[in-house]
Amino acid sequence: MIKLFGKQIRIFRPRSIWIRKVVQWFFFAFIALISINHTLVESGSGIPFLASASLHALCPFGGVETLYTFLASGVLVKKVHDASLVLMGIGIFLAVLFGPAFCGWICPLGTIQEFVSGFGKKYLRRRFNHFVPFKLDQVLRYARYAVLVWVIYVTATSSTLIFEAYDPYFALFNFWSAEVAPTALAILGITLVLSFFVERPWCKYACPYGAFLGVFNLFRIFSIKRAESTCKADGACSIMCPMNIQVDTKTVIRDHQCISCLECTSEAICPVAKTVIFTSGSVK
Amino acid sequence: MTINSKTLAALLVIILFGGIMASSTLGWWTTESTKEPVKFSEGEYAGQANPADIRGSYTFGDVANAFDVTPAVLAQAFGITEGDPAAFSLKELETIYADSPLEIGTGSVRLFVAFYTGLPYDLATAEETYLPQAATDILLEKGNLDAERLAFVETHTITPGMEASTPEAPSTPEAATTPAAESTEHTTATVEPYVIKGKTTFADLLSWGVPQAEIEKLIGAALPDPTMLIKDYATAKSLDFEVLKPALQAEVDKVKK
Ligand code: SF4
Repeated sequence: MIKLFGKQIRIFRPRSIWIRKVVQWFFFAFIALISINHTLVESGSGIPFLASASLHALCPFGGVETLYTFLASGVLVKKVHDASLVLMGIGIFLAVLFGPAFCGWICPLGTIQEFVSGFGKKYLRRRFNHFVPFKLDQVLRYARYAVLVWVIYVTATSSTLIFEAYDPYFALFNFWSAEVAPTALAILGITLVLSFFVERPWCKYACPYGAFLGVFNLFRIFSIKRAESTCKADGACSIMCPMNIQVDTKTVIRDHQCISCLECTSEAICPVAKTVIFTSGSVK
Repeated sequence: MTINSKTLAALLVIILFGGIMASSTLGWWTTESTKEPVKFSEGEYAGQANPADIRGSYTFGDVANAFDVTPAVLAQAFGITEGDPAAFSLKELETIYADSPLEIGTGSVRLFVAFYTGLPYDLATAEETYLPQAATDILLEKGNLDAERLAFVETHTITPGMEASTPEAPSTPEAATTPAAESTEHTTATVEPYVIKGKTTFADLLSWGVPQAEIEKLIGAALPDPTMLIKDYATAKSLDFEVLKPALQAEVDKVKK
C-alpha cells in the first residue's frame, strides 16, 4: 500500500495466498521428517527429539476407515492407532468450521500435486486443468464417493487396512520401504503424471478422505461468498479455482469439491475488495 | 465474521496442534500399538499371552516383555548377530531370510515362542511355518516338546542343505510320513477335509453345511463377510481362536458325521 494524493493505493496485490504455501510445505516437511525418522528408528538409529510415529498413526483417514469396526466391536483395525481417531475428530471439527481446509492447507499429497501442477501451468498455460470434457468431469467428480464406500466396506469386512495397498499418500512417504505395495506406488506415479495436466487429480476423482470432508461443505460455518452488488463478473475467481468451481455464478459456494484454498477471494485473484470473501455471515 | 488467509492459517495450526496436545494430556494420543498380545481367556492358560497374536510390528524386546523368553535367545534362534537384539523388529526377518527356500517370518517367531514356553499353538495354522536350524536346536536342547511338537519341528526346520531339495521338502507331519504325498495343501485336504484351520473361512463352514444360525450363535454376532478367515475375525473381535475353533469344529462334525 502507498499513500498517493491522500488515498490508500495498493500497488502490489498478491495473485495467490502465499501463506497457504508456507503452511502446506511446513506440514509436508513435518510429515516427511517423522516418516523418515520412523524408518531410522526401526533400523536402530533415529533423529533425537523428533517423533517417529508410523504414517498410519498420522492419518486422519485411518480413523474413518476403522470407524465401523470401532463402533461395532470397540477395536481398531490393525495398524490404526488411537491418534488416528483423534485426528479424525480434529478433522471433522475443522471441516464443520471451514470445510475441507485440511485438503487445501495441510494434506501433503495435495501439496505435491500442486507442485507438479506448477509445471503444467507454466507449459500448458490455458489448456492446463481443462483436459477432461465437462460432462465426463461432472460424473467423475462423484467417483471418490464410490471409493469411500468401497474402502469402508472392505475395511469393515476384512478388519485389515486394505486401502494401504492403493494409498498414494502412504506410498509418498514410504516409497523407500518394503512396506509399500507396487499398486500404491503406481497410483502415486499416475497421480503425479496427471497433475501435470489437471489440478489435484487424486483429490478431484479418487480421494476417499476428500469425499468424506467434502460432505461438510453442505453445511460448514465459514464459506466462500460472493457479493453480487460489487462483483464485476470478470470470471477471474472461476478461472483461478483449482477445483474448477464456477464461483462467479454463485453467491455461496456449497460445492462438495471446494477445498477452502481462498485463491478465488478478494485477498488473491478477485480484483474488487470485499467481493469474494470467506465468512460466516451473509453478503449482498 | 469474515476471516482472511493469515487468520485461517493460524486457526488451522492452533486447532490441529492444540487438539493433539489436549488429547495427549487426556492420554488419548497414542501412535503405537500397545504391543501386548491378546491373552488366553479360558482353560489352563487363561490370563497368559497368546503367541498366535505376536505381530510383525513387535520387536524381540516386545516379545520378551510378554513371554518367558529373552531377546538374546530369540536373536540366537533366528541368527541375529548384529545390533541390540531387543530392538530387532520381527518384520525384518522376511528381508533377512529372503533367500531362504521356505519362508521364515513372524509366524516362525510365534511358533518358536509357543514351543519354547510350552504355550498352546494351533499346528494346523502352521503348516507352512518353518524354523531355522538354530531355533530347532534351542528347542531340542530345552527338551520340553511333546511327541507331536517334536515330529512337527523335525519336518519344519530349514536345514543348511535344504535348498536343493526344497520341492520334496515335507510340509506337514502327514506329508512327512507319506513319502508319496504330492503337495502340502493337497495332502492335507485329502486327509482332513473338514477340519477348521487358520485358513478356513466362514464360507467354508457354510459350504460344509454348518447352518448360519449356529455360526452366529457361537460368534455371538451376525455373520461377517463370509470370505473372511475365521482366525482373522477372532483376532479382530478379541475372541480366542483356540476356544472358538473347537466349538465351531463340533458343529462341523455334527453335520459331517
Ligand atoms: S471455490 Fe475458492 S476456495 Fe473453494 S476451491 Fe475454488 S478457489 Fe479454492
